[in-house]
Amino acid sequence: MRSGLLLGVLSIVIINGAARADGDPARGEKRFEECATCHTTERGVNNVGPSLFGLFGRKAGEIADFRYSPAMKRSGITWTQQTLDSFIADPQKEVPGNRMPFAGMPDAGDRADLIAYLQKATK
Amino acid sequence: MVTKLKDVDVVVVGLGWTGGILSLELAKAGLKVVALERGEMRTTAEDYALPGIRDELRYVVRHDLMMNTARDTLTVRNEPTQEALPMRRLGSFLPGDGVGGSGVHWSGHTWRWTDMEFKVRSLCEQRYGKSFIPGDMTIQDWGISYEELEPYYDRFEYTAAISGKAGNLRGQIQEGGNPFEAPRNRDYPLPPLTTILSSEMFAKAAKNAGYHPFPRPTANASRAYTNPDGATFGACQYCGFCQRFGCEANAKGSPHVAVIPIALRKENFELRTNSWVTKVLKDSDGKKVTGVTYTNLLTGEEYEQPAGIVLLCAYALNNVHLLLLSGIGEPYDPAAQKGVVGKNYCYQTGAGATLFFEGRHFNPFMSAGGSNVTIDDYNINLDFDRGPHGFVGGYNIGAGFNTPLPIGYRPVPNGTPQWGKAWKAATAKYYQTAMNIGASGSVMANRYNYLDLDPTYRNAFGQPLMRMTFDYKENEHKMGRHAADVVNAIARSMNPTALNPASARTEPWTVVPYQSTHNTGGAIMGTNPRESVLNKYLQSWDCHNLFVVGACVFPHNSSYNPTGPVGALSYWTADAIKNRYLKNPGPLVSA
Repeated sequence: MRSGLLLGVLSIVIINGAARADGDPARGEKRFEECATCHTTERGVNNVGPSLFGLFGRKAGEIADFRYSPAMKRSGITWTQQTLDSFIADPQKEVPGNRMPFAGMPDAGDRADLIAYLQKATK
Repeated sequence: MVTKLKDVDVVVVGLGWTGGILSLELAKAGLKVVALERGEMRTTAEDYALPGIRDELRYVVRHDLMMNTARDTLTVRNEPTQEALPMRRLGSFLPGDGVGGSGVHWSGHTWRWTDMEFKVRSLCEQRYGKSFIPGDMTIQDWGISYEELEPYYDRFEYTAAISGKAGNLRGQIQEGGNPFEAPRNRDYPLPPLTTILSSEMFAKAAKNAGYHPFPRPTANASRAYTNPDGATFGACQYCGFCQRFGCEANAKGSPHVAVIPIALRKENFELRTNSWVTKVLKDSDGKKVTGVTYTNLLTGEEYEQPAGIVLLCAYALNNVHLLLLSGIGEPYDPAAQKGVVGKNYCYQTGAGATLFFEGRHFNPFMSAGGSNVTIDDYNINLDFDRGPHGFVGGYNIGAGFNTPLPIGYRPVPNGTPQWGKAWKAATAKYYQTAMNIGASGSVMANRYNYLDLDPTYRNAFGQPLMRMTFDYKENEHKMGRHAADVVNAIARSMNPTALNPASARTEPWTVVPYQSTHNTGGAIMGTNPRESVLNKYLQSWDCHNLFVVGACVFPHNSSYNPTGPVGALSYWTADAIKNRYLKNPGPLVSA
């Protein structure tokens, strides 16, 4: 029953081709704690991970002074709500061999919140 | 030619856990603090990132994060009658080197040592009588109590992002925690790690046997976390590379994550790397220290750094070495049983069994440094009557995996050929099917286990090496046999397909293979200057503006990993300096 429901949800996502748009940026700020030890949203501040400033619309692997994995550089991804959603859901599935040490955020609602937050915070 | 530098308030020797905590706390108090670190600057982003950190050859075989024995090492022997020889390669223990020190490559196990250690002699005499303690067992009370240290344990646990489950909250025993632990004021900052199959199977067997299993408290963050100083941690990814590696996810409570970056943001804190301290300088009457001399390892230039307060925060063994090289305190003489510096060097013992379960898949590659389940029924459980068994101290038993390396971890049943086709087939067969149950045991201080300067061998700076004289004594043999019996009984109750049983360590101690980086003692704290180097605030009895911090202050070693009290005592000493010493510089305890 539960898996049937999940499949239903998945197919809606696929049909619409869109991540959930009902994210709450306030809740997303809380979700960002999982990212904050490696990523900042400040311009030019790279840490363990690259700065997320100006993320949306940027190509993956684009920041010149950050050492990306070859996998991320080759990925051809442009970061949008949708591509970020599938990447955060399972980073190793989406970009095999990338070097971000994060297992993924399985809950679609959590991801929607996080993305809503990032849309505000990375401008 | 020694260049004399400008005076500072505090000079810190070594920037790991103790140096990191004290630097931050004293910088927060407004003091001008300079830290001298012998190794390099290291950060997660530059040094511990994927994929480079997954290099077993570099970090495990070539000890990239450890001290360089070509520059300085120890000479070792088992008995005072033997000639000691230099340890030219690391083996039995692995002192760290570089910013973060051993706190970078530890596993994270963080315990609260209790009055069972702090009052070891008085509790033992009270219960079993004076004659129970052998004449050459030089254990003594520490001069501090658990109650005094409780808020500082708490402080450290919240700084280092400890995951665990309280067993005793203000006297109330908590289901699922360690029922034998001393009362704590609040729970750990983070819930326990996800359990793994091997620890679950052990927990079930231990429970069936009447023991009290609980998740091991550990500095592997079970969730993302921000500590009270604002340092952020990621969640543990169970990558299986913990011990001997830096953490790529900032999920391990390490000083280069938890405290040092915060200190580095302060203008009144300065870090100088590649700075090898050769001596602590005393003033003419020997009642105070005036600073340190150090060599810049990159240029060979020598400097004198004058300071109002000197803090020795190097690795435990190196703190003792510096005291001996500087002529501070009377060196310990085991024959006359006089002197204190070098006295009560201790180590740890243990016994482990490997269990094989054909058809099981333990997935050892998915584990954290602390994904163990532990029992303390023969450890801090004071109801366990040592009388019939005739030993002082205790041991904890744990099961799970800690860094089962893809290449280095090769469990095979006893009797398997040690090389060739049959060995290869066996390692492939058993990698997934093996688990370990291990006991870690205390080592009581002994008159003949000590540290002093070697009469023959010298380091790269022309200074005498430190000499370690150590062996396990009858007390440890007895405990090891008891531990092996208990481990084997639990292991057999689990019906493994094959079992490599545990046995006590009764052969003389050697520098190979790796055993434990829990070297303690040599600059011990205590109640009076005749028996100890430091008072309860870790202040030198001889020079009141010198403090020595780290496991070298422990008068004996428990079965537990040392970092819990090392961290707590760092905060305890920071408070003593800030709140008492600065107001009224002088001895904080009258001799």
